[in-house]
Amino acid sequence: MSDTPFKNPGWAGNTGEFELSEDQVRGDDFVGVRPVGGSHPSGAATYPYMLPGKDPEAALFEGEYRERFEKILSRYPTKQAALLPALGLAQEVRGHVSPQTMDRVAELLDLAPAYVRGVATFYTMYNKAPVGRYLVQVCTNISCNLCGADDVLAAFLRYTDTELGETSEDGNFTVVEAECLAACGFPTCVQINSRYFENVGPADVPGIIEHLKAEAAGGA
Amino acid sequence: MAYPYVSDREVRVLSRNFGDPMARRLDTYVERGGYQALKKAFEMGQDKVIDEVKTSGLRGRGGAGFPTGVKWSFMPKEPTKPHYLLCNADESEPGTFKDRELIRWDPHQLLEGCLIAAYAIRAKHVYVYCRGEFFETTQILAKALEDAYAKGYAGKDIMGSGVDIDVTVHVGAGAYICGEETGLMNSLEGRRGQPRVKPPFPAAVGAFGMPSTVNNVETLSAVPHIVTHGGQWYRQWGTEKSPGTKLFCVSGHVSKPGNYELPLGFPLTDLIEDVCGGMRGGKALKAVIPGGSSVPILNAEECADCALDYEGVQAAGSQLGCASVIVMDEGTDIVKQVRRMVQFYMHESCGQCTPCREGTAWMTKVLRRIEEGRGTEDDLDTLLQMSRQMTGTTICVLSDSAAAPVVSSIQKFKDEYLALIRRGERVGAA
Amino acid sequence: MADTPNTVTLTIDGQEVVVPKGTTILEAAKRVGEQVPHYCYHPGLSSPAMCRLCLVEVEGAPKPMPSCVTQVAEGQVVKTQSDLALEMREGVLEFYLVNHPLDCPICDMSGECNLQDYVHQEGRKHGRSKEPKRVFGRDDFGGDVLFYGDRCVMCTRCVRFMNEVEEDSRLCVVERGNRSVIDTFFEKGLEGTYWHGNIVDLCPVGALVSKDFLYKARAWDLDHTQSVCPNCSQGCNIDLHTRDNLVQRLKPRENLEVNGWWMCDYGRLNYEWINHGHRLEAPVVRGGGNVRAMGWSEALRALLDAGAAAPDKPVRAVVSPYASNEDLGAFAALVEELGGGDIVYRCATAEDEVPLKGYPGLARRRELAPNCKGAELVGAKRVGSADGRGGLEGVASHDGIVLVLGDALADQDADFGKGAALYVYVGQRGGPATDAADFLLPATSFAEQEGTFTSFRGRVQRFWPGLKPPGAARPAWLVLGALVAEVTGGAAPRSAADSFARLGQRVPAFGGLTYEELGTRGALVNETVTLSGD
Repeated sequence: MSDTPFKNPGWAGNTGEFELSEDQVRGDDFVGVRPVGGSHPSGAATYPYMLPGKDPEAALFEGEYRERFEKILSRYPTKQAALLPALGLAQEVRGHVSPQTMDRVAELLDLAPAYVRGVATFYTMYNKAPVGRYLVQVCTNISCNLCGADDVLAAFLRYTDTELGETSEDGNFTVVEAECLAACGFPTCVQINSRYFENVGPADVPGIIEHLKAEAAGGA
Repeated sequence: MAYPYVSDREVRVLSRNFGDPMARRLDTYVERGGYQALKKAFEMGQDKVIDEVKTSGLRGRGGAGFPTGVKWSFMPKEPTKPHYLLCNADESEPGTFKDRELIRWDPHQLLEGCLIAAYAIRAKHVYVYCRGEFFETTQILAKALEDAYAKGYAGKDIMGSGVDIDVTVHVGAGAYICGEETGLMNSLEGRRGQPRVKPPFPAAVGAFGMPSTVNNVETLSAVPHIVTHGGQWYRQWGTEKSPGTKLFCVSGHVSKPGNYELPLGFPLTDLIEDVCGGMRGGKALKAVIPGGSSVPILNAEECADCALDYEGVQAAGSQLGCASVIVMDEGTDIVKQVRRMVQFYMHESCGQCTPCREGTAWMTKVLRRIEEGRGTEDDLDTLLQMSRQMTGTTICVLSDSAAAPVVSSIQKFKDEYLALIRRGERVGAA
Repeated sequence: MADTPNTVTLTIDGQEVVVPKGTTILEAAKRVGEQVPHYCYHPGLSSPAMCRLCLVEVEGAPKPMPSCVTQVAEGQVVKTQSDLALEMREGVLEFYLVNHPLDCPICDMSGECNLQDYVHQEGRKHGRSKEPKRVFGRDDFGGDVLFYGDRCVMCTRCVRFMNEVEEDSRLCVVERGNRSVIDTFFEKGLEGTYWHGNIVDLCPVGALVSKDFLYKARAWDLDHTQSVCPNCSQGCNIDLHTRDNLVQRLKPRENLEVNGWWMCDYGRLNYEWINHGHRLEAPVVRGGGNVRAMGWSEALRALLDAGAAAPDKPVRAVVSPYASNEDLGAFAALVEELGGGDIVYRCATAEDEVPLKGYPGLARRRELAPNCKGAELVGAKRVGSADGRGGLEGVASHDGIVLVLGDALADQDADFGKGAALYVYVGQRGGPATDAADFLLPATSFAEQEGTFTSFRGRVQRFWPGLKPPGAARPAWLVLGALVAEVTGGAAPRSAADSFARLGQRVPAFGGLTYEELGTRGALVNETVTLSGD
């Protein structure tokens, strides 16, 4: 979670009737960097997802990640039920869910690899191939669509210089369309890695891209 | 008050803490009377709690509108197996954004509701199934839950009552169909999130094969208030058959989109003109989808007399669903928006049932062709016939939901389709 | 207190039917002769009710009901052929055809395809989709299975079979919605599984096809003959599919007490040996430096004379566990009439059984032949090693009468039976080991005659001839039975049933069983006999 004082174009701080800072709306005292070891087991499955620094060869699971994995396992009556959180944890570490990752997770949970493949490919959020440092997901579903989501998407593609679904040459950005992100009152909603950017208009896009590039270069 | 705009027509029950960043802290919540409802529930006893919720007439706020107290009463009174409460926080219906606000502003209200509900249905474990995209939201909930555990409001021997209830935040991975109750249960079990055939019903065979109840976030958030003030109190708002307040998610071409908590039965025209500050840019109203993309579209005429409760919207020709009001002005390209909605259903279909798997894809292709000016008039007959074949023939209602906008738009906005088909003319920009 | 009945009475298409409680409408409809179209339902698998093809109209229900999971209710009125039901099913079939390729001319399944049949019966006359079809291409799943993804109707029977019956999850559904397709775990396919051939049977369309059968024969050219699998002692009920007097493939036949709906890959793919040529086609007699082919009567007369002239020593005999009960019975009777002696048999034996975990009682058994039990019941003893060789030292060098039924003697040399007073070989093929035979009598294989096998569990099951025997080959029971009749002065058996009845008179285990009783399902031998080697 970045602590660079970047002004998100919208969060009601400047569109609504509430005088709030972005941190207050986001709940910065709650939403910080979650402890890797998972803190209390009841919330161990919540994860940052797609850390900027991914290691496709990382071990599954070692150290604090192993701790978190064990905590997750303890919350379900069957090992199989931990499959979705386990795949998410694997993706957090490795950046995407490859066949080797599916095989390893299957091994950890005593499941057949083919079964894990069937489950992993059902869900949209498991990346089957590596993606850029920042996965830019632009909602183009109806509420955002009515308020110009197509233009926002076009702006992102233009300023990252990529095709839809492809990764930019510098490896920083992959831009995709997303289905409704449940922020319809703040069109257009864009999710970049774990973070929601709301009330994004085409004019806001260059600023967002510059900020992210600077973050990437600064090694955040 | 709802967020990000406030209206004096609102009734502030569930949304009273929206916009207050202190409210999500446990100490603030307790200071303001939090977890007293839970204590009272333990004193009342399980069956009395169910009765109180039945009296209130609270109906499921996830879209189906099934009476919550009745749903709870389906659970066995003498458990021979573990019971589970599943909180449905997989908010993915296009146009809906109330659950996210409820969790991020008032997580303890939801947790208290979950604990009371779990107690009432004799469950010892609650799974809050949150959609995977809700990273920030789930972290707020997880932190709130951690604080609750630390102070003895969750886990073993809650507040010294001898009642044990565990809560786990479970995270999904991007599938709208996991918001369907049996799809949710399958996803929780670590399977593909495909809906199950009913019967057997969740109260008999649910999560992990055990009796389970699935409730929406908004429904559970209302429970502490009903327990505190009584079921009859809840009926002071709304109508006989649709009592209480509802969070209306208004999006689209209004001046002040956002969540508003209003009594059920509130007139749709007042919502748009008064509460939301009228149409954006003073444009004329063209169409409204009153309950999220799964319900039929209403044209401006039908909106005129529409009361926003379950019966009222049905009388106007649509359904209230989850009360996500999507407002479209005169510049809207209806065909494009219908295509986008059907494309959403195609993307989200689980693929089990043939009419849905093949039908949503076929419909999207036909609509795209019409949108690009390459449609023919018998395409419209084909679409209507397809809709008939997709309604009532599948395991879940995603297929029916895909057909609803198609049927209603062809019935009410046929001229737009015909303009594209006959002259390649498109109406509107958005 | 009145008993609650455990049957339900309902009306299906105007006919009243009484069925046990808990029966589904689809199964109940079968009883009044209505075959409701369906894909994903199969009695041996779970019922996901997802194909939506089995929709029927139920009076009082708000929408059409899937008959494969909807249980019958007292007084229910079901219409499977009403306008609503037909309209709904026509609609579902139309959806299937939106993306299904017009592969019939090149698809193996043509002629036995459920999609062809259902569309012909209930589908629309013309398709309405003008959109390009989605393409998945052909995928090699490993083992004997090829997958044509475009043809798949997503019934998931194959996935569920591997999960629930073989209990080795090798297949999965990948992606969701209209992108969903069946696949393996990347490069790891079906190799190393033993029952995967069944998914080709289960597939209602030509999406899963057998590599062995690919482009081999058209379904409508094949004759089907009920038989029993000859490749191990389980006794799976099968059908021989034949054309041009060759076995083209084997398919399992339903028998819930033996093999359910299944057969193993070893048995299924091991049929080419039935088609091998180089058959003995006429009786051959060797005598006085001559080798002559002759007709049956002449040959048998010569044999009887030779038998009468032979010294009074015990007979040493070899039989094959591929011979039918009737063949073995007649052979044992002949041995007795010739003064008695030892009968032995060899059988290739595998190290392990290969059970089908999800169907208890079914396995590829260790004995890789169909009638070891039958041989044992007529008094034969097993000899030789696990690969079915050796153990014939006593027979090879015997100086009395040597009789062989069916055993190919592949491991024996030209010295076999050289010193015998009389060496008679009754079987399908000659070889070096039959060079010294005085009489070579051509016999039919199991595929060319009517008869029975006895499974390892003692179940006697009938099979019928699917092939025409070559030349003058005759069933062994007919030839040997005639010999016995001549010696004893009785009448020769005129039919396999007759031969079986005579067997029952000699061997108590078979006593009382008749062909009528056995029917197409079989029955257990009497329990009264203990067997060697058990």
